[in-house]
Amino acid sequence: MSLPRSIYKMFERVVGTEYISDRPHILAAYRHTSPQDGRKPASPDAVILPGNTEEVQAIVRICRRFGIKYNPVTSLLSVGMPPSDQLKVVLSLRRMNRVLEINEKDRYVVVEPAVRHVQLKPELMKRGLSYPVPSVGPSCSVMANFLAKGEHHNQHSTSRNNRYLLGYEWVMPTGEILRTGSLSNDAGWFCPDGPGPSLAGLVQRSNGVYTKAAIALDEWKGPRIMPAEGHTPSYKVRLPQDRHKVFIFKFPTLEKVRDVMVEMGKAEIGAAVLKFFYATAAVMFTVSANDFWNTWNSGLFQKELSKAVWVYLATRTPEEMAYEEGVMWDIVREMGGEEVDKSVRKIWEDNMDFFIIVSFLQRVLKLGGGWSPILHCESLPHSFEIAKTIPEFFNSFIDKGLVLNAPHNFQIIPIEYGHGAHIELLFFYDRFLPDAKMIPQELMKQSSEMDLRHQHYSPSPDKEQLYSNFQFWATKIRNAF
Amino acid sequence: MNFDRKDRTTRRDFVKHVAVGATTLVSAGPSGLIPADPNPAMPGNGQHEQDNVIEAASNFRELVGRVVKEKNIVSDPAVLEGYSRDCSFVAASMPLLLIRPETREEVQQVVRIANRSRMPLVPVSSGPPRFHGDTVPSQGEVVLDLARMNHVINIDTVNRCATIETGVTYGQLCAELKRSGLRLNIPLLPRSSKSVVASRLEREPTLIPKYQFDYIDPLLTLEVIYGTGDDFRTGSASGPGALETLKADKVNPWGPGSIDYCKFLSGAQGTMGLVTWAATKLEVSPSLQKIYFVPIKEADDLAAPLIKILRQRVADECLALNNVNLAAILAKNWPADYEEMKKSLPPWTIIVCVSGYARRPEERVSIYEKYLKDICADLGLRSQSILPGAEGKENAVLELLSGPWEKEPYWKLRHGGSCHDIFFLTTLSKVSSYIRILKKTAVKCRYQGEIGGYIQPMVQGRGCHCEFNLPCDQSDSKELAEVQRFFMDASKTLMSNGAFFSRPYGPWADPAYGRFTEGVNALRKLKNIFDPNNILNPGKLCF
Amino acid sequence: MDTLRDYKYTMESCNHCGQCRFILGPKMKGWEYAEVCPAYHRYKYDAYSGQGLINIAQELLEGTLNYEDDLLAHIYSCTTCGACDVNCKSVRDMEVLDTILALRVKCVEDGRGPMPQHKEYAGNVAARHNIYGRPHAQRSDWMFEGMRLSEGAATAYFVGCTTSYFYPDIARNTVKILQAGDVNFRLLKGEEHCCGAPLWRTGQREAAIKIAQQNLDTIRKLGIKTLITSCAECYGTFRGFYPRIAKPDFEVLHISEVVNRLLANGVLRPTGNVKMKVTYHDPCLLGRLSEPYVPWSGEIKPYGLHEPPKQWRRGTYGVYEAPRKVLRSIRGIQLVEMTRNEENAFCCGGGGGVPAAFPDFALSTARERIDEARSTGADAIVSSCPLCQSNLEKASGISGNGFRYLDFCELVAHAL
Repeated sequence: MSLPRSIYKMFERVVGTEYISDRPHILAAYRHTSPQDGRKPASPDAVILPGNTEEVQAIVRICRRFGIKYNPVTSLLSVGMPPSDQLKVVLSLRRMNRVLEINEKDRYVVVEPAVRHVQLKPELMKRGLSYPVPSVGPSCSVMANFLAKGEHHNQHSTSRNNRYLLGYEWVMPTGEILRTGSLSNDAGWFCPDGPGPSLAGLVQRSNGVYTKAAIALDEWKGPRIMPAEGHTPSYKVRLPQDRHKVFIFKFPTLEKVRDVMVEMGKAEIGAAVLKFFYATAAVMFTVSANDFWNTWNSGLFQKELSKAVWVYLATRTPEEMAYEEGVMWDIVREMGGEEVDKSVRKIWEDNMDFFIIVSFLQRVLKLGGGWSPILHCESLPHSFEIAKTIPEFFNSFIDKGLVLNAPHNFQIIPIEYGHGAHIELLFFYDRFLPDAKMIPQELMKQSSEMDLRHQHYSPSPDKEQLYSNFQFWATKIRNAF
Repeated sequence: MNFDRKDRTTRRDFVKHVAVGATTLVSAGPSGLIPADPNPAMPGNGQHEQDNVIEAASNFRELVGRVVKEKNIVSDPAVLEGYSRDCSFVAASMPLLLIRPETREEVQQVVRIANRSRMPLVPVSSGPPRFHGDTVPSQGEVVLDLARMNHVINIDTVNRCATIETGVTYGQLCAELKRSGLRLNIPLLPRSSKSVVASRLEREPTLIPKYQFDYIDPLLTLEVIYGTGDDFRTGSASGPGALETLKADKVNPWGPGSIDYCKFLSGAQGTMGLVTWAATKLEVSPSLQKIYFVPIKEADDLAAPLIKILRQRVADECLALNNVNLAAILAKNWPADYEEMKKSLPPWTIIVCVSGYARRPEERVSIYEKYLKDICADLGLRSQSILPGAEGKENAVLELLSGPWEKEPYWKLRHGGSCHDIFFLTTLSKVSSYIRILKKTAVKCRYQGEIGGYIQPMVQGRGCHCEFNLPCDQSDSKELAEVQRFFMDASKTLMSNGAFFSRPYGPWADPAYGRFTEGVNALRKLKNIFDPNNILNPGKLCF
Repeated sequence: MDTLRDYKYTMESCNHCGQCRFILGPKMKGWEYAEVCPAYHRYKYDAYSGQGLINIAQELLEGTLNYEDDLLAHIYSCTTCGACDVNCKSVRDMEVLDTILALRVKCVEDGRGPMPQHKEYAGNVAARHNIYGRPHAQRSDWMFEGMRLSEGAATAYFVGCTTSYFYPDIARNTVKILQAGDVNFRLLKGEEHCCGAPLWRTGQREAAIKIAQQNLDTIRKLGIKTLITSCAECYGTFRGFYPRIAKPDFEVLHISEVVNRLLANGVLRPTGNVKMKVTYHDPCLLGRLSEPYVPWSGEIKPYGLHEPPKQWRRGTYGVYEAPRKVLRSIRGIQLVEMTRNEENAFCCGGGGGVPAAFPDFALSTARERIDEARSTGADAIVSSCPLCQSNLEKASGISGNGFRYLDFCELVAHAL
């Protein structure tokens, strides 16, 4: 189905002839089958590239008037439109890529949707500032991550991304523009909440189009310029050792891993504390799939990293480093931990961009398929309870040869010094297996059933009656807006 | 949306829909929904309407009497009088009735009855004195005082959070926590009778900005009874299943799903729903704590040290008080000590606490106090462990910052029995400009009274709560008028200069929402979902 | 040789992460100059990128996309700079550039491509052994008095079409350098034919193979063991295309590598003083696309295991250091770096047949590069490729302010 010419012309009048296209080869970029789940999005009927909020508003109004579904995108990492007979367009926001304000004193930055991590992060580093960067990678949209409540490696001393989202400008599905919080009174970008009840609870990536957002900033204690040496793909990014150190400790049990995280949270030390994926680590830090197999088959990562805690200490002075290191060792020794093999630690010492900006999701797919559908966010103990039950459903997939034999390939990251945590299971499968696309679906289904059996917190729309019937309210809200 | 109320006598049957272990939805008919009533009942004027009001009240009372203990339903005017007014400029108005539920089930039943009867409710959860006008009835509402729901449900020392009913006060909880090695991140000297949940819901600023990651923090999950009578649990308290069988620790405030329901309840003054319990963060009690004072002569010099201290996360408690407020807090004998201290204290004092925790506390304190010293030295300031102008009071300050105000009268009321607070949010870099604006406005209004000043950085220092306290003698009408004039003028001037009144109580509501058309429309859409008959605190905010 | 079908694994593996469009994380410097794909930068649509082109390739192969009016122009609006390829390979095992080149081959084999302007190349090469259609006899007109050639030497200087006909000074300076370094070398003169780069990179593979074979035959016949070139296109073609035809039995060196060796051995000592701040532009086929191609045929097993193991060209060992070391060795030269440098260098816009078919796009790309060069505070941009020179000089001239382009050999010869 193609866009009627009259409607096409309306869009064209908004953005100009150069920034709208319904040519099939242009649209090919938006309907490529996703390698990880085999899903082929329906082709849009056109792609439109608005240049500012006013153009977005005009487009949204046209869409609303004619019942046209639209999908705002920046990076295409998870583009996907449900197959539908309805007219649909992609709003590519890539032209809206300005950094509008960097406020160093009050520590926020205002960006448009197409500002990428690889653009913003270094601008802020120059100024001794930083913000949480999820592992989606350098080329992805900053704003989209924050709208999607992204997770990242440094949550232990910070928080999930949504806490860092400040004021924003939202073109609502009705075509009205809402600027919330302190923007309501032209008071600036610093507060997303109020006046009165906070409308920030409505923020969802897929609802209307967000055209500007302010992101909160923290201090960055590292060098002002990314200290990368070498060449692709094996850069070395090392930070000054007197104020930046990474340690990896292994423990006899997952309970000890949990307890270490709890204690490090109480002690408020560490920029990052996490249990990382061990198979994913092998994928990330090897150059090719073949290299991965060499590393994986050596057994080193399984031996060293299946019950391990990564600790990244970032301090302002060597004295502070000595203090944090001292406390860290106090805790590790109390819990019976020991350092992992030096060669494993060296990998992280040479790749400290792991804590700054890293192409995680891209590398994860090096082996073919593989995704992490199983995401939970709750407390540390609850996350470890979930971890204990993973073998219940996961091992059968391993035994059948459907997924890589990596039963401990989950990560747990504490949030806000242990006030919460995030757990994520990542599995690898060969997408060339017959019915390979059923693997992630089946895994997610079994994981969901496991959650139900054990009453893990994992709300999903098809189980909403067990979660305070949230879909009832969500539907009302969606319909109202 | 029509918020006018008309007489309603329609009866409604309802069918309770209960899912396994789930929260309940109140539904009517096959649609499962109570349709939004465009013409909810409202007590009006005139004898006929007055008779209808009495009949409605009587019906309501009878229905409520079936679900709430008789002793908890009060119509004694002497008692109701206490709820008819507070210290704010909001006009006094007698409530129709006072109900004091003891359980969440009672709250839910009352709301359902109120919804059916279109009886407006005003929720209260803190003891007096109250200051902001949000709990003052305006249309003959029934006051629902949740103070008797005061159970501390759980103190979780591993996840560092407390789950408490809405009636739990700072006095109660702080005392209980002393035994646990944990502490609350509390506001500045809250009243002992202040509800912790209400304080969190209203986004009151807390003393330790480094623990706050957004303006809703440290509120976690909660249970709410919406104006429809439906109950709902937010975040990871939502399920799966019943509250009693939840395995989750109720610490994820977001969702369930992609919408953050808890945010709609924040700053809402009870207009979206009544929270029956909430989980809130706790922090580790320091094993070693040192307090420092940075005297500030000019308000222009306030921001720079605070910006750096917060950016580097040097401090636990971090705030600034002017001499008026600090003297009011510390003075032993009133008014002699107060007047003397007010003169001897510097115009402003930044107060910073540096803490050590369980392991190597001295090391930590030593490192962070050096950071503090260096920050101050770079700016030509001095951090000192002696409180200039009130030497010897240092420990008293430290003690005061650790808990609620226990004595009578409340420190804000020491001057004359009443106090009107102007407070708003801004950024640290703009604080001094607002202090200047306030001073200019005081001159313009010929305001001669005291102005207490309190600057509280929030959310890691990215925002700042600015508060100016105008004490007065409520019984002195001349003084009151002067304060009111200044209060209104200053509020208007500050607002028009970009001060963000994020909690628009009383007279701030109209100007705060005046330019926020799309926001008001959006809020009303939400209101129409969660309280379609506008029975919860009607007339507040933009409802 | 591989067909488009052989790149199915690549086409199906793309998960549209966007790495092909943006600078790599470790090389990030700021908001500006963060995009690495000239087509994406210019045309804005996602289809103008490595990802877009391999999505198109897949649909064309599967028959879900037809040759519509502007499809060909889209496919050829790519300078084949390989930024997408190298960036993708920093995280994945995919052959993005080879897929794009195979797509162009398919267009030609289907009778649809290349662009009309490129069709002339093949005819010119067939008739006159150069893409410009100039008389073959004039190929060596650049030669000068006093050249010391060693007939029978095992080392030859391969001049290249663009240098021979349009930038003879590059050749002259190269010879001066080689002579100063006492390098015994010969020229191929009339036996030097176009290296085949413009044919290869516009999908005219058969024609490219033919001309390449001629060169290979000549090199073998003359017993040449080392081939030196001062043209990045020639260099990258000998290293990246010729091994697809026959296993190379000669070494290919760029003049910058030769000079670097001569400096390291103390044979050359630049004594001149060139007081200037310069920035070096890495030509695509000298930098990221210069590693030797090693043919692979095997099986891609589960989880991406290549059997036998494949030798990937990821841009790790491009000629980045040699020219820089040489420039730093010249007294007075202050070398500053652009944000997009080395393996993330932004293309000059001169490759892939783009200047012939889309001169505006070629120029706008070059202007972007000049802009970036100027932003470093440099007085001039230095590079070592006549195609880069052509496009960058045009852009510099048009944008005014006379920002200079200097050829590497010119600078070195001057310093000697």
